[in-house]
Amino acid sequence: MALGLLALPQVVSNSFAIDILVRVFLFAFIGVAWNLLGGYAKQLSLGHAAYFGLGAYTSTLLLIRLGVSPWIGIVAGGVVAMVASLPIGALCFRLRGPYFAIATIGTAQTLMLLFLKFRDFAWGAVGTTIPNLGNSPLMMQFTAKAAYYYIALLLLAIGLAVTYWVERSWMGYYLVAVGEDQDAAEAVGVNVPRIKRDIYVISAFLTGLAGTFYVQYIYFIDPNTAFSFNVSVNAALVSIVGGIGTVWGPVVGTIALEPTSALVQSWLGGGRHPGVQLTLYAVILIAVILWQPTGLLGALAGAYKRLVRDAPGIPGAAAAARHAPPADE
Amino acid sequence: MVRGLSKRFGGLRAVQEFSVSVEEGQTVALIGPNGAGKTTCFNLITGYYRPDAGSVVAFGHELVGLHPYHVCARGLARTFQVARPFGKMTVLANVMTGALLRDKKLPIARERARGAIEFVGLSAREHSLASELTTMDQRRLEMARALATAPRLLLLDEAMAGLNPAEIDQAVALIRHLSRRGLTIVIVEHVMRAIMAVAQRIVVLDHGQKIAEGGPAEIASNPEVIRAYLGSGYAHA
Repeated sequence: MALGLLALPQVVSNSFAIDILVRVFLFAFIGVAWNLLGGYAKQLSLGHAAYFGLGAYTSTLLLIRLGVSPWIGIVAGGVVAMVASLPIGALCFRLRGPYFAIATIGTAQTLMLLFLKFRDFAWGAVGTTIPNLGNSPLMMQFTAKAAYYYIALLLLAIGLAVTYWVERSWMGYYLVAVGEDQDAAEAVGVNVPRIKRDIYVISAFLTGLAGTFYVQYIYFIDPNTAFSFNVSVNAALVSIVGGIGTVWGPVVGTIALEPTSALVQSWLGGGRHPGVQLTLYAVILIAVILWQPTGLLGALAGAYKRLVRDAPGIPGAAAAARHAPPADE
Repeated sequence: MVRGLSKRFGGLRAVQEFSVSVEEGQTVALIGPNGAGKTTCFNLITGYYRPDAGSVVAFGHELVGLHPYHVCARGLARTFQVARPFGKMTVLANVMTGALLRDKKLPIARERARGAIEFVGLSAREHSLASELTTMDQRRLEMARALATAPRLLLLDEAMAGLNPAEIDQAVALIRHLSRRGLTIVIVEHVMRAIMAVAQRIVVLDHGQKIAEGGPAEIASNPEVIRAYLGSGYAHA
């Protein structure tokens, strides 16, 4: 499959298809970054646009004000996002559950307002375009869409590798424990504030990388795009739909949602009923949460188990144990 | 060693001037009617609540002001009144989470966790999800998870609530076994039969104050304890 993905742009010349794939990789990558915190530790952030925007603005400011290559800018953007996540996390992690989610929304919105006011420094509400240099690989600009495809694929691969590594280390155990029961985790020695901070920093760094890439891809930045609430929601949505707290969940979720959204958008968006596509999106989300809280991956795994391992006794016994009344009480 | 511990919730004095000292290797029971402040004491000692006054010293360290995870790192492990396993993790992963406190390498943590699981008799369910266990097994699991943190002092909050008589006997045997291995144990419990079987010393709380302390026989015949907690029927039993 990896080879197929690598060869794909050589075979497919349709730039609309490549564009959709670039977006799928990018949004899956943001979902993967979100999933580290939101999926494993169940800290429902709805403010990841803050780091997406900071990454985007850092590299763009470096590029336009100082002529620094976005290749350096992308790392700088990640670092700025990381540094910003420390005070933001320190504030927001004082809250739990929905209050945490609301606070994170506030941080992204606050940053958007700040950048709207920075007229001289960061172009305010007008935004700016990235100067087009033609084909300039050193400045992360390419005439061939395939180059963006490979960068997005690389970002996604990095995100998945980080997740894979985290899941198979002590951090994975600690994060899931935090997601299950913070007080019980503290009782067995889990430094809950520290592990939340650490994973938030990693998540912010990765999201910052995505911000820089996106600006370089669409050649335009303004506060409403960079700090868009849609970025935050999408990151959470693809993870929840695909399977929260799993390595591949956000990827599956993006593959399911992104082309759907593009199609629904072209059918319904901008027509006589603006917003219908968002309503449909919300209905899909509610449906998934109600009927399949473990996401599409959970549904697939369940189907697989029923088909392949339906040995007599085992699944039945597990189900019986689940439904048996707690006899000792 | 606890000295002068006090905690108020609004106008309610949940724990007042509570002092007790536990010798290493002893098993001490904390008893008293509902609302007497037993669980509050646990929460004060293990860092979940911050006391208004008083001090808690264990193994030469002052614990007041420490977070629960630091208290655990100092060698005090606790269980909860209602078992709180990590439901979506397997039994092994639950216990490994505890074992990771002492060593972050997974193979070592896995080995230690297996030891603790075997000790509480849960090996057969190692790969079950914690949420699928019975009440008794969830309590075993919680005990194993606490043991995996390599504690010197184990605080058990109503480890036997919700168990049937046969299970209580198993739990008693388990606690005695732990005690024989040199672990210091403080246990909050309502099942008097179990307390009499495991505790070398009993501390009685009522309305947040210590009203008696002594050996099991002494406590069982103490008139004030009978009035406040045991009930008059117990004196003749």
